[in-house]
Amino acid sequence: MHSVYARVNNISALLSSCVMGLLAAIALSSVVLSLFEAPLEGGQVLVKGVKVTHGRGRQYQYEHATVAFEIDADLTPLFNWNTKQLFLYLDAEYTNSKGVKNAVVIWDRIVRRREDAQIHVEGRQKYAFRDKTGFRDAAATYTLRYNVMPHVGALVYGAAGRTNGSVAFPALNSHNV
Amino acid sequence: MFTEELKAFRRLGFRHVLLQALNFASVIASGLMIWKGLGLVTNSESPIVVVLSGSMEPAFYRGDLLFLTNPIHERYHTGDITVYKIPGADIPIVHRVLETHDAKSRGPTHNQRLLTKGDNNDVNDIELYRGLDYLERKHIVGKVRGFLPYIGYVTIAMNDFPQLKYALLGGLGLLALIQRE
Repeated sequence: MHSVYARVNNISALLSSCVMGLLAAIALSSVVLSLFEAPLEGGQVLVKGVKVTHGRGRQYQYEHATVAFEIDADLTPLFNWNTKQLFLYLDAEYTNSKGVKNAVVIWDRIVRRREDAQIHVEGRQKYAFRDKTGFRDAAATYTLRYNVMPHVGALVYGAAGRTNGSVAFPALNSHNV
Repeated sequence: MFTEELKAFRRLGFRHVLLQALNFASVIASGLMIWKGLGLVTNSESPIVVVLSGSMEPAFYRGDLLFLTNPIHERYHTGDITVYKIPGADIPIVHRVLETHDAKSRGPTHNQRLLTKGDNNDVNDIELYRGLDYLERKHIVGKVRGFLPYIGYVTIAMNDFPQLKYALLGGLGLLALIQRE
């Protein structure tokens, strides 16, 4: 009954259930906190220019879009004590002439500190934005989305801003970007 | 060293050993049933996975535990973190969805093609797809829903040092057989 083995067993069982309970409480707390946090507001996504060209070399079968954009958003409300990082991404959604619905991430950023959560970005896309069918007659909606990654618990997704309406792709022009 | 235990063994007799073996088997069987039951509920062949590489740092590190679901009627979105397995590759990969392309679907599942990328990688995963241009739904094991840090490191340690695995298994087996309560 009171052997060393029994004692070690009891203590480790108690310890692990305490740790599990604590972790569960932390995971739950971020759900509760998110109910009370102020809603995100004022996020803006502005597309300043889109250009469509043929890819070069092996990429020739694709049409490539180049997007210049500006993002303004304040994501500080998303940080609570269980927030490890935010994954921010700019998502372009459009339907091409073959009826395929596409969503393409053209830019992303990882935010790890509350101090960096005021976002102001002016720039171009980071990743290739290409379509074999082409962008003819299509228009895209650009949305700034976020993924809150906790220290422990559930992953949360949401949107922080989008373009007003959709932005049409221009006609295909020259080979040079 | 083991004389005490051996004595106890003889005193308790054969029936006791059998009973302990039965207990041990029922523990293993219920573990297996919970695992398979979870797989049924989440529609994922492996609803809990351990992160094995650093390609999703700083979101996930080696040894973190991920909980997956794979609802059949739900489409995947950009930004979702998926676990996928390419036929011929033995290790499932945890990466984030960079592109989705939904064609009109004829069946109950979505006719969706996905492109993924690791947060810590500079380029997308086409090189990992073994000749495929995109992932299809059948390659996807699940979508990451929840996260528990470090716990899975035990399995990584057991893979890196197989002796540890055998020592642990042997120790557990021995304990299950000789414990008297």
